[in-house]
Amino acid sequence: MGDLFGTWLAALLTLAAFSFLYKDNPIFRFAESLFAGVSLGYYVGIVFDQTLKPNLFEPLKTNFGLNWDLMLAGVLGALLYVRYVPRIGWVARYGLAVYVAYYIGVEFTQKIQGEVMPQLARTIRPLNQWSLDSVGAFFTSPSLVSLLAIVGTYSVLVYFFFSKEHGRIMRPISRLGIWFLMISFGAAFGFTVMGRVALLIGRLNFLILDWIYPTLGI
Amino acid sequence: MAGLLDKLLKIDRRWIFFFVALSVTVPILVPLGLPISTTSATQMAFDFVEALEPGDVVLLSFDYGPSSAPENDPMAEGFMRHCLSRDLRVVVCVLYPLGALGLANNVVARIGHEFPNKVYGTDYVNLGYKDGDRAVMRRMGESIADAFPTDVNGRPIADLPIFHGIRSIRQIKVVFTAATGLIGEWWITLVHAQFGTPVIIGPTAVSAPKYYAYISSGQLAGMLGGMKGAAEYEQLIAKKYPDLGNYYKRTRLFTAVKGMDAQTAIHFVIIVFILIGNVAFFASRLRQGRS
Repeated sequence: MGDLFGTWLAALLTLAAFSFLYKDNPIFRFAESLFAGVSLGYYVGIVFDQTLKPNLFEPLKTNFGLNWDLMLAGVLGALLYVRYVPRIGWVARYGLAVYVAYYIGVEFTQKIQGEVMPQLARTIRPLNQWSLDSVGAFFTSPSLVSLLAIVGTYSVLVYFFFSKEHGRIMRPISRLGIWFLMISFGAAFGFTVMGRVALLIGRLNFLILDWIYPTLGI
Repeated sequence: MAGLLDKLLKIDRRWIFFFVALSVTVPILVPLGLPISTTSATQMAFDFVEALEPGDVVLLSFDYGPSSAPENDPMAEGFMRHCLSRDLRVVVCVLYPLGALGLANNVVARIGHEFPNKVYGTDYVNLGYKDGDRAVMRRMGESIADAFPTDVNGRPIADLPIFHGIRSIRQIKVVFTAATGLIGEWWITLVHAQFGTPVIIGPTAVSAPKYYAYISSGQLAGMLGGMKGAAEYEQLIAKKYPDLGNYYKRTRLFTAVKGMDAQTAIHFVIIVFILIGNVAFFASRLRQGRS
């Protein structure tokens, strides 16, 4: 019974969301507000139940002497909300400063070690790695791929270099950079369309296979 | 002719919505069975899992929520089915806060039901959700039991046979992350970089382009990019394992292969409308130039 009610509710809310495609209407507004409210409520509940409770409140309650240092993190977190009191809003900057510094530290080493160095190392290759067995193999030659990466990177950088006027040498290079950018945006846009369409397919699958078919007894 | 061009340029956008809806609905009602070619990134992922030894332990991380479930669900399910068919042991965990635990519970229950000879706790286990993404990954590099002291049912993982001989993420043969957002990337830049554990990623199509750089640099063991990648993987495992092939043919549940019929139909509609729009635009410009 619970499943049936849930399916009907989800199906009707899906139709309410789709109704915007015809034109804006109060049913869509209701579904939109309900979705925003439920999502936020769920997130607040999850953060309290899965983050604050097991990582802060319970350790402090069970053994304060051993876990008192958690208070420091708790206070820094609470300080972020002081900004809503204009008179002492500046205090929030301390919490924010520690938060930002922590993530810069974590992210910096992670990016260098996990992304920049390995990808740079794989790009720097000898220029004698060519596959000449077939046309397809030639276009996947390691040396050709590396050369393309180098030409693409530098031409895009030149496009964004505004400190010098783009003259006879700079202009064609920056135009090549635009081509690299457009191809990359095109690939990203194609994948994005595919991703959004996949969500539509998921919803219509739900409406047909989980709602209409069972309702009609098919 | 001029009237037709004007009409095309001012076409009500709801007609486009209508044709898009139609192109999704028809393939769902009448599956077309269009061919799907396999990309090298998916083949790499499949070959990697095929090369593992029976009994090896793999980790399946649910790093997505309901908002991308149509893309990520088939990947996670396909990977788990593949692993259990190969007698690998599967450890499931959840690092995404918004609704991922419910999805993981559903998938584990459904696939556990499909493989009645596999025992929970011995062949697969669900560790549930843990908050802290990168902190959890780092901790798993030292000790999985420190990061997840119990499974989702509250049973200490030290009591579960699946963890015999497994202390940290270093002993896990591969991590498969079905991911939306940044968590998938952190498995590569943190877990693979620091502990050397191979990673296969199943990102949403929106994030897929950026992961090609990780494949080129050898940091990824494979990738299932969006619904297309999931469909390719389904096709590969259905071909290799006839039982799974029969299951995918029979099931009324949503599969990525079925979804790709609709994807192809929609793309066809989009291309047709782009062509119509461009032809009408250039023809009207030509007409204005002449007049």
